[in-house]
Amino acid sequence: MKITQHATDTTLTLALNGELDASSSVLLDTELSKPEILRTQKVLIDCQQLNYISSAGLGVFISHLQTFQDANVKLVFFNMQEKVRNVFEILGLDSLMTIVPSEADAAAV
Amino acid sequence: MGVPRKPFSLLSVGVLLSWLALLAAALLYAHPGLGGVQLAPSSGLVLVLQALFTALVFLHERNTAERLRGVDFIGLLRRLLLGPALLAVAGAGLHQLLLALAPGFGPDSVAHTAFYTLNVGLFVLLLARTNYAWRALVLFRGSERLRRQWVWFEVLLGATLLLRLLPYAPPIGLSSALLGVLAAYGAYLSGRQKWVAYLSRRQKIEAVLLQLAIIGVMSVFVAYFLYTKAAFRLVGPAPQNAFLLLNAFFAGFYALMGLLVTLFNLPTAGVFEQKREEILSMQRLTQLIQRGQTTTEVYQMFFDSAIQTTRADAAWLHIDAIDDEDRLDLYHRLSAEQAAPIRELLAEFNLGNLEYFNNDLVGSSFRRLQLPFGSLMVMPLGSSKRQYGNIYLLQEAAQAFDRESLSILQTFASQAVLSIENLQLIQASLHTQRVQDELKIASAVQDSLIPKNLPIDNWFEISSYAVAATEVGGDFYDFLHLPGRRLAVLIGDVSGKGVTAAFHVAQMKGIFHALMQENPLARNEREKFPVPSQFMTQANRALGRCLEKSAFITASLYIIDYEHGGFVFARAGHCHTLYYHSIKEEVSYFQTPGLGLGIIRHDGYEKHIKNQFYDYNPGDVMVIYTDGIVEARDAAQEEYGEERLQRLLEASYYLNADQIKAHILADLHEFSKGQPMHDDQTLLVIKFRSAQPETGL
Repeated sequence: MKITQHATDTTLTLALNGELDASSSVLLDTELSKPEILRTQKVLIDCQQLNYISSAGLGVFISHLQTFQDANVKLVFFNMQEKVRNVFEILGLDSLMTIVPSEADAAAV
Repeated sequence: MGVPRKPFSLLSVGVLLSWLALLAAALLYAHPGLGGVQLAPSSGLVLVLQALFTALVFLHERNTAERLRGVDFIGLLRRLLLGPALLAVAGAGLHQLLLALAPGFGPDSVAHTAFYTLNVGLFVLLLARTNYAWRALVLFRGSERLRRQWVWFEVLLGATLLLRLLPYAPPIGLSSALLGVLAAYGAYLSGRQKWVAYLSRRQKIEAVLLQLAIIGVMSVFVAYFLYTKAAFRLVGPAPQNAFLLLNAFFAGFYALMGLLVTLFNLPTAGVFEQKREEILSMQRLTQLIQRGQTTTEVYQMFFDSAIQTTRADAAWLHIDAIDDEDRLDLYHRLSAEQAAPIRELLAEFNLGNLEYFNNDLVGSSFRRLQLPFGSLMVMPLGSSKRQYGNIYLLQEAAQAFDRESLSILQTFASQAVLSIENLQLIQASLHTQRVQDELKIASAVQDSLIPKNLPIDNWFEISSYAVAATEVGGDFYDFLHLPGRRLAVLIGDVSGKGVTAAFHVAQMKGIFHALMQENPLARNEREKFPVPSQFMTQANRALGRCLEKSAFITASLYIIDYEHGGFVFARAGHCHTLYYHSIKEEVSYFQTPGLGLGIIRHDGYEKHIKNQFYDYNPGDVMVIYTDGIVEARDAAQEEYGEERLQRLLEASYYLNADQIKAHILADLHEFSKGQPMHDDQTLLVIKFRSAQPETGL
């Protein structure tokens, strides 16, 4: 799992590369737990290279969902592969999180 | 063990008889006509009888069991001295005493001859005993080659006994040369003194004294035989007596050589002993672990060994308190009050992470402490993992610790650390073992939570399969009969694995049984039991309080009403239900929305969960499962997937529930063959049958 960051004044983009399983989700949790993240307006997650997400990986997003909502930070996923999107949908997370097709769509949210 | 004794006792009898024969011959030779016997044996006969006696004594000694026990050299020497040597000296002394004091005991008396012959016998016995004791010493840790050399020595010496049988005396030059060669051979063998190295200092001194005594005994006999006048000489420098002469020479020379070697070894005995002590200390340190000792005992042992081998006058050992281990301070001839200023002083020098410190206390700051010590050596105890503490050794003399002590201490320190860390490893593995045992118990407890008896009715068939990837799993399923021919089926999966997940499974089952109770306040039949969406909302509320932030649970609850031929279910983020519709002859997934439990913990969950009603037909098949099934992977890391599962049901819906399950599992196992199972797998197959009237009623 590799996480690359790209930050602008209002947006933080995290590109996930690889499999988000129990061990790599710790890395992601560290990134999402940083206090400065709550000062941005949007956190964009680029899922193009995300091949697999385990329940631990989902748990990381779920655990930060409430905090982000309270701080008015939008969490947007884009470029999601079909099978990863299927995992989000089965769990019903598509009704809680914003999942859009492309980066342009994500920027427009 | 009784078998080999007989030849020995035969030999003993032979020895005795031959000596009696020798005595008789000697008496008759010296006193013709004694006791009226008119026989005059020749001197040659006496010599031959003596040779026979000697040969039998030596053979007897040769066949006696090895007298050296292990490395008890001192015992061997002592037994030799206190046994035959003392006896022989006593014999010779008594003879001389009688000669000097008893008037009728002249050189021509019968008693004199008898005494002389007795002493010859004792001397031969002493020689034989001595030389076979020397054999044990020569051959100690000796090679096969040395063994053969010894046998040759015996054979050649034995051959000299035959010299007596020669009808004429060999030329003096030849016999002297022969004797010289054999004596040289004996001297060569006397160089084999390996045993001396195995003696401690004390034992060496004892050995010197014992060997001096043996040489003394030999000298007594030389004097005795030289100065005792007899009518004939049984022992003398003549070639006929070459055997005894050579044996006496060898016995004396070996003792002399041994004495010299031991003497020269005495100054180094201390060093040998110290080395020995070091090796023993090292052994004790390593054996401590095997005996399952505590770390404190290892420290104590290290401390004692270090003091002993470095000959420190005072010492202390300080072990820092780390984790749950207690801090440890050991003192030897030193008080904590004396140690404190030294430690403070060393702390000032910032010797915290030194490799070692070996110096004389000449610095003025040390002198100011006014301690009676001139040398200090400090050695840390540590490994790459951690530092344990330091050992401080003090000596009164200046420059007292040499490089040797330092290197020994270093070896001890690393051995002690090794012991400590091995001990910790053992304890850690014991702990792991205990945890594993507890997991087994947890696994057994969880196993008891899985319904063993599946509901049986002639309206449907149920078949189930559940395997956990680890000892305790996060998957669960349960059944509950409700009044009015209804059956509640729950399936679910707790995120994460292990004991935490297992606890939530138990909790979830508790919630299931608690919520599916008849509500006594219900106004109508419908409200008596919660519908699946209500159940999920209430379960979400209950779980929200105790589930950790990143954990969630997926579940599906089905309430099958087989009286009316329908079911209602709600899917809380769980895998979709695979269904065979017999009317349409079609297999499809129920695509219903629904959010997992524990994801949103505030009110408002009910907006995210829906009930789905369906009227089933006989022959319909419902396949419910957990994601461990569809996310099972093959060698290429591809997932099994919903589509493959769907195709399998399409090919097997007409079978009964057990067969359908077996069909799916066979394919799944074939697919993931050789791959580790990384998630729990649960599979339930429910097949609805046509409503058969209950016959016989």
